[in-house]
Amino acid sequence: MQVHKQTLTSASVLAIALWLGGCATLPATAPATPPQAVDAVAVPVEYYRLGNGLRVVLSPAATAPTVTVGVYYNIGFRIEPRGRTGFAHLFEHLMFEGSANLPKGQFDKLVQGSGGVLNGSTRFDYTNYFQVVPAHTLEAILWAEADRMRGLAIDQTSLEQQRGVVKNEVKVNVLNRPYGGFPWLSLPQYANENWHNAHNFYGDLGDLDAATLADAEAFFDTYYAPNNAVLVVAGDFDPGQARAWIERYFGAMPARELPPKPDIAEPPQRAEKRQAYTDKLAPRPALALGWHVPERGTPEYYAFGLLDQILLQGEDSVLWQRLVQQRGYASAVGGGINMLGDMFTYDGPMLWVAYLIHDAEVGADAIIGDVDSEIARLQVEPPTDEELARALTKIRAGLYDTVGSSTRFGLVELLACFALFDDDPARINQIESRFRQVTPELISQVARDYLRRENRTVLRVEPGQAAAGGGS
Amino acid sequence: MTRWTVLALTLVLAGLPAAAQQAPPPHGTPRDFVLPQRETLQLDNGLAITFIDYGVVPQVTILAAVRTGNIDEGDETWLADVTAEMLKEGTASRSAAEIARAAASMGGGLAVGAGAEQSTVGISVLSEHATAAARLVADVLRQPRLPPEELPRIIANFERSLSVAQTEPGAIASAALAELVFGDHPFGRAWPRPGQLASYSIDAVRDFYTANFGARRTHVYVAGRYDRAALEQALRDAFDDWPAGPPPSDRPPTASSELQIRFVARPDAPQSSLRLAVRAPGPAAADWFPFSVMNSLLGGTFLSRITANIREDKGYTYSPGSAIGVRRGSALWTQQADVATEHTAAALTEIYREIDLLRREPPPVEELDRIKNYSAGLFVIRNASPNGVLGQLAFMDLHGLPAEYLSQWVANVYRVTPDEVSAAAQRWIEPRRMTVVVVGDLPKVEESVRALPQVQGAAVR
Repeated sequence: MQVHKQTLTSASVLAIALWLGGCATLPATAPATPPQAVDAVAVPVEYYRLGNGLRVVLSPAATAPTVTVGVYYNIGFRIEPRGRTGFAHLFEHLMFEGSANLPKGQFDKLVQGSGGVLNGSTRFDYTNYFQVVPAHTLEAILWAEADRMRGLAIDQTSLEQQRGVVKNEVKVNVLNRPYGGFPWLSLPQYANENWHNAHNFYGDLGDLDAATLADAEAFFDTYYAPNNAVLVVAGDFDPGQARAWIERYFGAMPARELPPKPDIAEPPQRAEKRQAYTDKLAPRPALALGWHVPERGTPEYYAFGLLDQILLQGEDSVLWQRLVQQRGYASAVGGGINMLGDMFTYDGPMLWVAYLIHDAEVGADAIIGDVDSEIARLQVEPPTDEELARALTKIRAGLYDTVGSSTRFGLVELLACFALFDDDPARINQIESRFRQVTPELISQVARDYLRRENRTVLRVEPGQAAAGGGS
Repeated sequence: MTRWTVLALTLVLAGLPAAAQQAPPPHGTPRDFVLPQRETLQLDNGLAITFIDYGVVPQVTILAAVRTGNIDEGDETWLADVTAEMLKEGTASRSAAEIARAAASMGGGLAVGAGAEQSTVGISVLSEHATAAARLVADVLRQPRLPPEELPRIIANFERSLSVAQTEPGAIASAALAELVFGDHPFGRAWPRPGQLASYSIDAVRDFYTANFGARRTHVYVAGRYDRAALEQALRDAFDDWPAGPPPSDRPPTASSELQIRFVARPDAPQSSLRLAVRAPGPAAADWFPFSVMNSLLGGTFLSRITANIREDKGYTYSPGSAIGVRRGSALWTQQADVATEHTAAALTEIYREIDLLRREPPPVEELDRIKNYSAGLFVIRNASPNGVLGQLAFMDLHGLPAEYLSQWVANVYRVTPDEVSAAAQRWIEPRRMTVVVVGDLPKVEESVRALPQVQGAAVR
């Protein structure tokens, strides 16, 4: 499979977003009959660093007269300060509260008032700020992102307001709804041992109350440095022009010394964990199963990605067919690797999760028994050629969904994460070939090594409420 | 002001004089956005097919929209949803598992669902599988087995979803609002009665299918990259001999214009879920564009006044918003917010304050320009993907809108004046005709809400 790869310092312009190449090489383990020629995902990637260490990824493609800008800082909620749970996320809100040349509210007005949409989010290993804007407004957006990378102009009032907003976010997403935070927020707290992976990422309300302006200042100073960030520009723009603007607006910021990364490794799990909690708003029980996954980027990890496709992704998947279609335990079974993104958008320990909401008449052990028997089949017999081909097709279609999206947010996210975590954003063009190198035997091996009971956490949610609406 | 050390200080010394600030660099020249071409043909049995040739990746979406949904249920609430879900449970020649595997092998998943006025069967696949996908969609739509043995499971799934919805404050508020606004019309029955779902027999499902599905009610949309001749032939072969079936029904509801309020108890809730709703013009109305821009300025965007006030300024809420729910013959404007319990009445007061201000005074040109730019920008983002264009066209066809609705959309937005915005608010966003719903910890919020001047004289339901 040919991969269109740019040298990292090239300023040349690629005219099209995608080109369709024949499949020139196939892994040695491919079936004897070659599959039909396939289109390869080929995203243009230019990658370089400014003198201050800011990583820059440019991906020009004139598919629509818009451009997507993402700034990703390598600070996620995993490494926020102890005693300040939820701080990484609270700080994300503060990044919209004003900088030297853009007082409170002006960033939003600049982006939206120019015809763009914007947002930010906090994840395990990064906090991101992103917008898609009309192509002719790119320079102002780069200027604005540089302005808030250079420094914030926030005060106690902004902090109080955003503390209120964040507490309301926690209430609406977690506290005032059934299954709030299940399983994305709750399961890691049971499955992990290292505090960095096991604390409440949204934050205890008491910790949110304790956050001060000085905390915000220190946090910004520590983590929001150019050498701890990547800037991605994708869409309809001239890369030469963009490089000049990026140098002008971001180039003068000094690099800063970054603190050593804390140890976020998880100790190997030796025995199955079983936990339960009562959700006072939930009308039915729920069940989540989480397994620690192989290290990111290894052959075993790609094999696990295929296991995820075979077992859990789509209505054709093994667990959907067994639990939903045949058994009728649930309306759906959900999950995957990394409940807050996908298998590429984190950097550290991670869980593969499967979860469902079921009826009280069905015991958790019956469901777990069915899951175990499907896993056991793959541990003994490698997936069939048809199963593997279907899994690869789902991965390809998912990549096209990402690359073809009109906001390009998913594309920018992959480019940013491959730059931040692997120093190699062009890896986006190798995703599919990495999956194609996986053999059916390796999938079976990985099922044996990782989908073991001892490597698993079982979390049950017990319903605290009979099904009933409110009434006046 | 470009040195880091200086700027670290501004973190503490906020509120520097405006004179110290630099302005953003000016924008360049806007670039043209060209809407993709579309072409529609009609088969003899009345089925329409629209082709949209657009996209940068080798994928194609095939979506069949059938003009039926909850509007045709009578008082058999969710029968349309149960019927749609049953379509996936097997056809004359394929089991449910075979359908799921066939779809995944093409790079997609079959999506089936019932809406208020439209039910859809759709799939997005790799381009090389376009004709097979067309046959799959037609098979599910035309030859569903509607197997009785799967019905109890499908009904149990809906029972489970219902029980969850009935504990979600937003869903509780929306169901109460629908009931108050649409009364006895199917749109007023957001949820089945206890025991009702279990009473649906396979005959009821089959009767609903027969009475409401057919070529005349169906419009197939194709968008993406595909071999046009081959796909057209496959669609003709798959649909040519489908009987015309029934014509579309027409049962528009009448939305309430009366001031009314409902309090729904949710003991110890940390937030109150608020809904304020009032009738709105539909997309064919003369003042649709002023109203639509007005909505964006008042509550419909992150930039909007209500959001700036109760979220950014006061911190009462996380995700407030207003929206226009468009249905044939009866559009509804709704402002929603989940606000901290202790700020319930204050949040309502601020919402009413912003409504009142916009009704009294035309917005400043600068503010309106931002909203217009935002609307125009969003139009491009929304239409810059095959599925985005497809969704817009399906909306236009359902509401009988001409091609100019899309082609003149941006020009019509830019034509809206400050006076028209204020007039649209004046005409439509009338607090004395609103339906208000408060779901929350009533002992803490009801008294203060009842004391608000805007709800004096409201029928309490």
